[in-house]
Amino acid sequence: MKKILQDSIKGIIPPLVAILLAFLLGGLLMKIAGINPIVAYTSLFKGAFGSNHRIAETIVRAIPLIILALGISIAFKARIWNIGGDGQFTVGAIFAVFVALTFPLPNAILLPLTFIAAFIGGACWGGIAGFVKAKFNANEVITTLMLNYIAFYLLEWLVKGPMMDSNGHGFPQSELINEGLRLPVLLQGTRLHLGLLVAVVLVIGVYMFWRSTLGFKTEIVGQNREVAQYSGIKVNKIIVITMFISAGLAGLAGWNEMFGVHYRLLENISGGYGNLAIVVALLADLNPLGIVVSGFFFAALVTGGNTMQRMEGVPFALVDVIQGLAIIFVISRVVYRRWRDNGARTNNDNGILGKLVSRSGKNERTNSPASNR
Amino acid sequence: MSVPILLPAIGEIFTQRSGILNLGLEGVILMGALGGFVGTYYSGSLWVGVMLAVAFGMLFSVIMAVLSVTIRANQVIAGLALTILGAGLSTFLFRIIFGIKKLPPSIEPFQAIKIPVLSEIPILGPVLFQHNILVYLTFVLVIVSAIVLEKTTFGLKVRAVGEHPQAADSKGINVYLIRYICVIIGGAFAGLGGAFLSIGYMNTFLDQMSAGRGFIAVAVVIFARWNPYRALGGAFVFGLASALQLRLQAVGVPIPHQFLLALPYILTILVLISVSKKAEFPKAFTLPYNRGER
Amino acid sequence: MTDIVVTLKNITKTFGTNVANENVTMNLKKGSIHGLLGENGAGKTTLMNILYGLYKPTTGEILLNDQRVDIDNPSKALNLGIGMVHQHFMLVRDFTVVENIVLGQETKKLRFLDLESAAKKIEDLCKKYKMKIDPYAKISQLSVGEQQRVEILSAIYSGANILILDEPTAVLTPQEVKELFQILRLMRDSGKSVIFITHKLEEILEIGDEISVLRDGKLVDTVKTKKTTKQQLTNMMVGRDVLFQFSKAEVKSDKITLKVEGLYCNNDKGLPALQGINLEIKNNEILGIAGVDGNGQKELCEILTGLRSTTDGRIWVCEQEMSDKTPKQFIQDGVAHIPEDRHKTGLVMNFSVMKNCILKEFDTGKFSKAGFLNFKAIRKAAEKIVKDYNVKTSSIEAKVRELSGGNQQKIILGREINCVPKVLIANQPTRGLDIGATEYVRQRLIKQKEQGVAVLLISADLEELIQISDRIAVIYEGKIMGILEREEIDIETIGLLMAGVKGGLVSEEDIAG
Repeated sequence: MKKILQDSIKGIIPPLVAILLAFLLGGLLMKIAGINPIVAYTSLFKGAFGSNHRIAETIVRAIPLIILALGISIAFKARIWNIGGDGQFTVGAIFAVFVALTFPLPNAILLPLTFIAAFIGGACWGGIAGFVKAKFNANEVITTLMLNYIAFYLLEWLVKGPMMDSNGHGFPQSELINEGLRLPVLLQGTRLHLGLLVAVVLVIGVYMFWRSTLGFKTEIVGQNREVAQYSGIKVNKIIVITMFISAGLAGLAGWNEMFGVHYRLLENISGGYGNLAIVVALLADLNPLGIVVSGFFFAALVTGGNTMQRMEGVPFALVDVIQGLAIIFVISRVVYRRWRDNGARTNNDNGILGKLVSRSGKNERTNSPASNR
Repeated sequence: MSVPILLPAIGEIFTQRSGILNLGLEGVILMGALGGFVGTYYSGSLWVGVMLAVAFGMLFSVIMAVLSVTIRANQVIAGLALTILGAGLSTFLFRIIFGIKKLPPSIEPFQAIKIPVLSEIPILGPVLFQHNILVYLTFVLVIVSAIVLEKTTFGLKVRAVGEHPQAADSKGINVYLIRYICVIIGGAFAGLGGAFLSIGYMNTFLDQMSAGRGFIAVAVVIFARWNPYRALGGAFVFGLASALQLRLQAVGVPIPHQFLLALPYILTILVLISVSKKAEFPKAFTLPYNRGER
Repeated sequence: MTDIVVTLKNITKTFGTNVANENVTMNLKKGSIHGLLGENGAGKTTLMNILYGLYKPTTGEILLNDQRVDIDNPSKALNLGIGMVHQHFMLVRDFTVVENIVLGQETKKLRFLDLESAAKKIEDLCKKYKMKIDPYAKISQLSVGEQQRVEILSAIYSGANILILDEPTAVLTPQEVKELFQILRLMRDSGKSVIFITHKLEEILEIGDEISVLRDGKLVDTVKTKKTTKQQLTNMMVGRDVLFQFSKAEVKSDKITLKVEGLYCNNDKGLPALQGINLEIKNNEILGIAGVDGNGQKELCEILTGLRSTTDGRIWVCEQEMSDKTPKQFIQDGVAHIPEDRHKTGLVMNFSVMKNCILKEFDTGKFSKAGFLNFKAIRKAAEKIVKDYNVKTSSIEAKVRELSGGNQQKIILGREINCVPKVLIANQPTRGLDIGATEYVRQRLIKQKEQGVAVLLISADLEELIQISDRIAVIYEGKIMGILEREEIDIETIGLLMAGVKGGLVSEEDIAG
């Protein structure tokens, strides 16, 4: 137990430093622009945590982020670069709402059914990318990216066409799902909904996943496909399964947003959560508990950023700048590590090929920063 | 409307041919768009704007070069960082420089030039020969890029670095340098693409005005299988889809126009599958090079 | 004015604590072919990489035409007229011959490619050196021998006077070897110098003018080819006349555990790698496989563990047909495998010792329950391996990459043996290990044999094979050249078989030279 604590403290330092640096640089930028960074950051903080209502708002935003990031963490750990969170989120939401609006079943049966539908929707969407990767070695970065756009247009078509609310005065939106299906609000007067518990359950689920044999296989595949084969693992099968689970979770994030916040399909429901969730997952080093913290943090940044813009006139874009810088600093971490390692090992070797000695460092380098602990 | 896709795509061909995936084009385009507008606004000269856009694009892509070549970070993540940072930084700077006004500041953009005689040709004339100078410049750049890549020593080096960096290194080619140059060339093109948006197509800078074109450009590169001429075709397909859907919507054809818009993306996936099967990717695609690993 | 073009003076090269070259001094004469002979890991390639500017010597200097030079990268070496043909060709497969050759010749300036005049120049060179190469052919369409000629052409084209060839014959057919030798002689006669790295005695005796022998990174001696014999060179390479013998238990059993019949398969490039292998291993013997690297050993291992599919042939483990089974089934049916490259195949370097201990069995009932890992059992098993095999590690939570090579190998050994195998396939199990760890691994293999396991030992270290094998099969170009019973084993015979000389068993005079 003590060791776990030590490890998590050790693990939390680098992202903290990265965030701190990003904030410092953001502050510097404001200073140059003639804005008082302290006032701006105070306003940002208040916007995120200033009242129960603000905190609830932050949590509402954190829920889909955390679930999406959980999904992304599973794919990334297998070194499958699933950047299709947005698309999988969207298709999950479409499936779920479709089921909710179509089948005349009692709510007690229908609600779990929508949940399953969301998972399957997302999973199939991501599964396409997993399948073509396993089968044809098609680069998943490109396929998941393309699938995002296709999902975007699919949704647009649905809410302007077949699924459009006939009483919606021409707004691009679907009918509302019936009230019995909506996730109950946890805190009166806020939007904080039961989805929070779902997220907590999923965090535990992913934590358990990494302790399962399937999770172990996924991890081995991510580390070294050759070793995986040698250990008797069917690599292609794991790639497809991993994409399936990863994307399924993204679909569940869509479910949460539909049944907890919007209660209907709208245009562009994912709203760029996908990319932000990648940042969340990376900053958390793909650790499920870390994702909770960093998901909450980025949700706060977004909520607070809106307040900051409204109250102090500081452009919300600053939040994007801080996010971008944070990732850059996180992935630059390896520089420090390499410099430290080289200093220790190769002081008697100044040849240009000196790094040959640290040949074993190969995995580390091709790693995402995320799987480097 | 293909130009702001085509320009970044051409630059990205250089980048990918050298073995690097720059997924951060979106951010670079936005920085270019900002640079183009700011340069024009303050100097009154559109060409100063163009130069500043290119400079912004190059400078900003240096971040990508450092991350992917020197730090050997994961290129997908580095690209996303660049996208987010570019979007944030361009908007932030624009707001800081011009404040938040009801009416956005504007400039007089590039005007269409009718090429005499040729623009009189029915149908083809207006389509091909009534554009602003940046469009013509783009066509020239497509040809120049194709020649540089296929017919010059530099192009040969770029291709060798992307295919087999160890071999290139053993022949005395500086792999790192070539990759830096290619990423920065990519930045210059994307910056120019941004300028086209802010001072060619529009007359001002808007938040997120790239609207995903950076990502589409990456798709076009795959679609075009790393060939500038085919990229011209690819960008045209994407441009055509959006132009056609507007017409179809107006005419009221019963095909959902979203399907048309999605079609190029579906095609890209299909092309990707066939390309992957034939292993046409540069062999060292997205693989960082480290001299020690031979 | 001497006729010496290159002097390597007191070259020492260390990698961390590893000494690759120690105080090596060597002279290369103008217009001569200089053989660099030594066993695998003797430091031949490292020495030549120093000359070619890929490594910087830790101490020592290089003289070129009596001038001290600092060669710190390949392009400098090329400018100085030093070319190198690597063991793995440095050619871009999608490029044509002329494109590959022109690559890197040109200056920093942006210029139009002039492939036509280059192609003409290449054709002229081809004529001069009696080669047949189409300058416009793509590399991927050329045979291995042709590709090698392109590499040589490329070096000559860029004006190399000194050409380093690293194990050039390892990948060639006998016919291609002849052609290569002819080219090299033509080069020598036109005043160029060639350094020929090899571990094949016969070849170097045929082609070399002088021979330098390296052992354990040190220069043993440089001798004139005319004044030496095969026997003398062997002794210089191996370093001792008499090999010490392990006492071997008699083969008592007749129970055949592993049997393969008529195995054929292709390598990664789709070329034939194994061409009709027949082997039998009994349940208490070690069968050694000797052979020059790249003659099908890797493919054989992969087939016997289910990692590669055969084009023909059958495999039995304990009379159970294993053909076309998956790696997992091979594991379950008792085939353990110590892979050649522990970093690439055997271990997950970023994982803890503990996790690496269970790679093979994590989803059996031993280490998991209802789909979840049983960390208590895993911890216990890992601690046992660490204890039983004397693995030196700070804890079982430590990452494997932090361990020394010997300790890493012990983890693999422990893990594989813990699976209670019927067959143990050990591919280069002691490569890169220090003496202590090497002895330890060998003892363990013998112990396995004594416990009734059929052991297949593939090794480039002849001494090791002779020490612990009960029988030795020699593989050459995917075929078994011969199987030597215990009393027939001797190093010269094996050496000849390894070189593909079938009559080696009888022609004693030949050996005496």
